[in-house]
This record gives sequence, C-alpha cells and structure tokens, in this order.
Amino acid sequence: MTGTEIALMGAAFAVGLAGIGSAIGVGIVGQSAAGLVTEDPDKFGQTLLLQALPGTQGIYGLLAGFLIMQEVGVIGDAPMLELEVATGYAFFMASIPIAIVGLVSGIYQGRVSGAAVGLVAKRPEELGKGIVYAVMVETYAVLALLATILLLFGIDV
Amino acid sequence: MPIIEMKKVFLLGHREERENIFNLLHNLGSVEMIDVKSGESWEEFQTLAEPDQPPESISQIDATRSDIRYCLDFFQRYYPIKKSFIQQFTGGKLELSKEQFADYVNYLDRASEIYDACRKVEDRLARLRNQETQSRNLIAELKPWETLDLPLELVKDGSYAAMGFYTIPLENLLSLKEAMPGKLSLHYLEEVSTDNEFAYFYFAGLAEERPAMAELFKEKTVTTVTFPNFSGTAAQNIESLFKKLDTLREERTSVLAEIETLLENRPMLMACYDYIDNEFMKHEAVSNLARTENSFLLEGWVPVPVLGDLEKAVHEKAETAVLVSRDPEARENVPVLLHNKGPADAYEVVTKLFSTPQRREVDPTPLMAPFFFIFFGICLGDAGYGILLGLLAVYLSRQLKIGQSGQQLLKLLLLGGISSLIFGVLFGGYFGDLIKVPPLWFDPLDEPMQMLYYCFGIGLVHIYFGMGVQAYRNIKAGKPLSALFDQGFWFIFLNGLILLLIPGLEAVARSMAIAGGAGLILTQGRSQSGIILKFLSGVLSLYNITGYLSDVLSYSRLLALGLATGVIAVAINSMGEMIGGGIVGTAVLSVVLLGGHSFNIVISTLSSYVHTSRLQYVEFFGKFFEGGGKPFKPFGKSASYVDVVEPE
Repeated sequence: MTGTEIALMGAAFAVGLAGIGSAIGVGIVGQSAAGLVTEDPDKFGQTLLLQALPGTQGIYGLLAGFLIMQEVGVIGDAPMLELEVATGYAFFMASIPIAIVGLVSGIYQGRVSGAAVGLVAKRPEELGKGIVYAVMVETYAVLALLATILLLFGIDV
Repeated sequence: MPIIEMKKVFLLGHREERENIFNLLHNLGSVEMIDVKSGESWEEFQTLAEPDQPPESISQIDATRSDIRYCLDFFQRYYPIKKSFIQQFTGGKLELSKEQFADYVNYLDRASEIYDACRKVEDRLARLRNQETQSRNLIAELKPWETLDLPLELVKDGSYAAMGFYTIPLENLLSLKEAMPGKLSLHYLEEVSTDNEFAYFYFAGLAEERPAMAELFKEKTVTTVTFPNFSGTAAQNIESLFKKLDTLREERTSVLAEIETLLENRPMLMACYDYIDNEFMKHEAVSNLARTENSFLLEGWVPVPVLGDLEKAVHEKAETAVLVSRDPEARENVPVLLHNKGPADAYEVVTKLFSTPQRREVDPTPLMAPFFFIFFGICLGDAGYGILLGLLAVYLSRQLKIGQSGQQLLKLLLLGGISSLIFGVLFGGYFGDLIKVPPLWFDPLDEPMQMLYYCFGIGLVHIYFGMGVQAYRNIKAGKPLSALFDQGFWFIFLNGLILLLIPGLEAVARSMAIAGGAGLILTQGRSQSGIILKFLSGVLSLYNITGYLSDVLSYSRLLALGLATGVIAVAINSMGEMIGGGIVGTAVLSVVLLGGHSFNIVISTLSSYVHTSRLQYVEFFGKFFEGGGKPFKPFGKSASYVDVVEPE
C-alpha cells in the first residue's frame, strides 16, 4: 500500500468505527423512545433530543476523516499528495483515538441516554439531569477527538 | 441579592372568611403554605387548636375533576390536538380571554352530562371493536375452506359414514396418505388447501372404523375442525362476514361522528378542568391549617419584596384576618427563590437544572454567567451561526407564550448567539469559510496549540475563581484558616507547578511549589487523629493534583467543539463546491448549504449548551457549590390546558 492509501484507510476507520458507535447508540435510544412515545406522543421532542446525543461520535469521526482527506488532498483545490509510507502510518495512528473511543463511547452513551428516556417518562422536568449523565460519557469522545486533532496537526506532510 | 429573603407569616382569621382569604392568596400567588402541624410552634398550641380537614365537598370536586379529565383524554385519543415540535417543549395551551374563560366555567354543570355521553360512546366503540375482531377471527378460520364447494352443516358423522374437516402439519401429510390404505378400508381424503405450516383436508370414512381413524390421526397430529353454527359453504359465510364488517365499520364512522359533535365542548371542558383543578387545590390546602371552633390559622413563607402587597391586600379585603410575620429561624427549612437582575437572569435555568442553592449559600448564577457566555461562544464560534441563533431566539421569544424558564432559555440562546458572533469575528468563522474574512485575532484551525493553551488558561481562571468563592465562604463562615489551608495552599502549590514550565522563573516556582506542597502536607490531615495519620493523609492529599489536572484538561473540549463546528461548516461548503454550476447545480447547492448549515447550527448549539453546562457543573460548581435547597412553590393558579391572556 502507498502512504496515501494508508492515510485514507485511517480516514475510513475514523468515519466508519465512530459512525458505527453512534448508529448503535442512537438505535438504542430510539428503541426506548419509541416505546415511551406509544404511551405519550407529546414526549417526542424531548426524546428526540436524547436520541441526538449519542450521534456526536459519528460527527467527530467524520470530522477527523474530513481533516485527513483535506490534508491528503482528496478534497479541496490542492492536488492529491504522494505520501511516504511512514507518513501514511502516522495519519492512520492519528485516526485511532476517535475511531476506537467513538465506537465504544457511542454505544455506552446510547445506553445512558436510553435510561434517561425512562427518567423523562416519569419525571419530564428532569430532562436536564438525564442529558448531563449522557454528556459525562461523551467527554471521552471529546478527549479522543482532541488527541486525534493534535496528532493530525502535528504531522509534517 | 440573588437569593430572595423570606419571612414566615402567620395568618389568623375567622372561619367564615376562610374561602375569601384563600381566593385572595390564590390570586396573589405569593405564599407557600406549610403544614401548621409540622411547625415547631404546633406543640405549644396543640391544646388550643386541632388540625383542619378539607371540607367534604372535596370528594365531589375530585370526582368532577376526574370526569372532565376522562372526557379530555377520550377526545385526545380519537381527535388528538397535535402539538408542534416547539410546543412540545413550551406547552402550547389554549388561549382564552378572561371573559371567555368565565363564560365557559358557567357550563361546569354540563360536565357530568358530557361525561355520560363520552362513556356511552366509548362503550359502543369497545363493543364494535370486539365484534370486529370476532368477525375477523372467523374469517381467518374459514379462509382455508373457501374453495370447498360443500355446505358446512352437511359434513358430520352419520350412522355409516364418518366425515369431518381436519388440519395436519404439512410434513405429516404424505405419510398419512401412505399409511391410510393399510389401516382403513373405504375412505376418501380431499385436500382443500395448504399454507406454510398446515394442510387442510376433508375426510370421509366408515363409521365402524372410527377407532382406527382416531389412532392414526393422533399419531400424525391431525386436528379436527368444527363449524357448529354455520350453514352454507365457507365462501358464502366469508362473504356475509365481510358484509358484517362493512356495517360495523359504518357504525363506527357514525359513532366517531357523534364524538365530533361532542368535540365542540372541548374548549369548555379545558377551561372547566383548569377551574376545578384550582378549586381542588384550594380545598386540599385546608389540610395545612389548624382550626378552633370559629377561627383558622395558616402558616407559610412569603418573599420579602411582596410581603407589603400581601399585608395590604389582607388588610383591605379581609375584615377579621390578622397577619404577622417574622424572620426565619436557624433550623427552619426555608424555600429558595432566585432573582437575578440583568443578563445573569438567563443563566438561572442552568443553575436550577443542577440544583436550587440553599438559603445561606451564594447563588452561583451571576458568578457563572460570564464564563458560560464566553465558553458558549468559543464552542459555537461562528459569526454567521451566532447571528442566526440570536435572531431565532428573539423571534421565538416574541412568538411563544411560555413560562419564565422557557424565556430564560431563549435569552440564554440569544446571549450565546451574541457571544458566538464575537468569537466568530475573532477567529474568522463566517458559516465556516463561506464568507472569507480574515480573523481579527487568529484562526484556531491554523494554530490549534495556541488555542489549546488559551483554553487551559481560561479554564484555570474558572477553577481559581471557584476556589476563591469557596475561600470567601470559609472566611464568611468564620473559618479563615480553612480558607488558607484548603484553598490558599493549593493556589500557591498549583501556581508554583505551572511557573516551573516557564524558563527563568524556576527558582521562584520551585520555592512556591515546595512551600505550597509542604503547607498541604501539614494541614490537609488536620481532621485525623494522631500525628502519623495526620501526616499520611496530608501526603495523600497531594494526590488530588490529578483532579486539578483533569479539571484543566477538560477545558480542551472548548477547542475540540469549536473546531468541530468550524470544520463541519467547511465540509458542508466544500460539498457545495463539488456541485457543478447551472440552474440545477445552483438549486442543489442552495439545498446542500441550507440543509447542511441548519443541521450544523442545531447540533453545534446543542453540544455547546450541554458541554458548557458540564464545565459549570463539574469543574466550577464542584469547587464550592452544595445545592439541595427547596425551591419556592407558592400556592397559586395552575394551568394544565388553558392560558388566560389579557387582550392586547
């Protein structure tokens, strides 16, 4: 594989794995939310908010993937770069934090948000606390994204 | 003063005037009643007075209330009032003028009549539903036999022949057919139909061979099917059942039309519900009182700013009532009402979401407000988004009739929009890179490390401020040494460690770190007994440095979220760029840009809000805020369905 291909594989992993995490997480919340809405259709708005929370990991993954694509020159005006294999691996490594943490934290944030749907069912006024619990999980995705971004910016092309 | 002072009031009046005074208090909505019997003074006059009971009419009121509730729920089931997405958050109640409301309430007597009508209609609907399922089940049973051209009533056992309808699992059918000639002499089997699992057949054999038949059928798990009350062929029966379903459906439509005629009572019932619900509360509140034969005693909390109005109103409207007030005593659980002036008022929602402060605590709202403003702006960090968000917040706050916290939230979003505009100009974000304006300060995308240091810096200020507030609380509580030991030494220690990173200051930094650290080792174990334990827990307390470290690192989310907003916006723009020109291209481009940026605004605003809140809750409030206060809940009007609006 050429260095460019390895770098793009990193982009694919970041988008793909973090996206899977979010998809599973959003799916978990959606299931419990749908259950609640059969009983109380007016809770749609609140539960949609909770369902959106585990979606951020996918966005972070896309963000990392986009940054790699931009650096490599797949998108944008600059021509595509021919990277050394070592540089390609550097890009790949940089994508790992958000890819892995995005995958796992997306799922767990989905579980917490799903439980928060139950909280909203009984105490709709406590939506905020449910959101806070879910955001605690997301912290680690944010940190992983930060690590990925710092690694990416640190690579000399 | 962000936390409003409360006074305890005692109101003594004549029983005859109780209703009058209750109406007065209910209209004012400024008193939180407390149970007289729970107060400390109760023991003193327990011999003089007895607990009051709600009047007996309360059960009647409760019954009417649940009747009306039933009707409204019933209407909602069949003809739901749909709420828009925003109304789900804001309530979206029926708006009535005062006159209309009073007019509707006059019809309260009709409630029971409407209730009966609704009940009847619902019973009929339930019956129709039952009949419908019954017919459908019968159709499903008959369906496999539809092709059999034989009247069902003819298939029965006679003196010479045994006949019947049977089903058999598909996989046994072949073996059954094979086994038959050996065991039975004369027989006839006609396969009528099959589905995925079963075959359906008509069978005739000799009556005398019944035992052999039964044995064979048992072995092959054949089930007998009977149609006791049917005459004519299966197809004829199915047809008549379908006809019956049609008439049932017609009947259902006519019943639903009946609901529609009842539906015109809905606004009236909504008004009546709110009216009677408030009446119920007034009656229920009586159980808080104490009474003698001719008087009643009421106890409650009143915010000091409205106490004057209350005294005046009671003085004017009530002839016999006496109102006295006193300051709260130390042990009393006083409810807390927050009141912030100016922009800080918007951030009360953030505090309340966490916890209501205790009465003797500092309200963290104004302290946290400037940080919230700045952090939100850094996270969103786009001038274009900021303007749109601000305009949207202003528009919604004009359009929507929502309660205080809703308005506060919208104000918070407006301020967030302004902050985002400021940081967008500083960092050069205008819908990502859609409008290319050079940043006033620097672009975090080009210099992320610099931005990261600024985030840590502002985080450090935030944390130090929180520690400062706790130090202030300690001093105010008469514990200046605690302030020095728990906050001062940490402050010196942390600053020493940070200064170590700056070349040229090592000497000063080292002595600061050592002094601070030594101070901590010597003082942090002071609650322990024994010199060794004191020393050990002092040393162990230095481990808390990891807590401070992770607190500061947590502020890196400001950079990450700011970059996320910006880069996604850029991604949307470059997706737009890839689309070619021409009319179709331009149309697709505008859809991509509009949809993409709207999506980004919503997602980024949401994460800016929640992550900024988290920085307040965990990193800032953790330093000094306890919370757990009891929010002030005055006895006053409540509205479930109707907003009474003043004509404009």
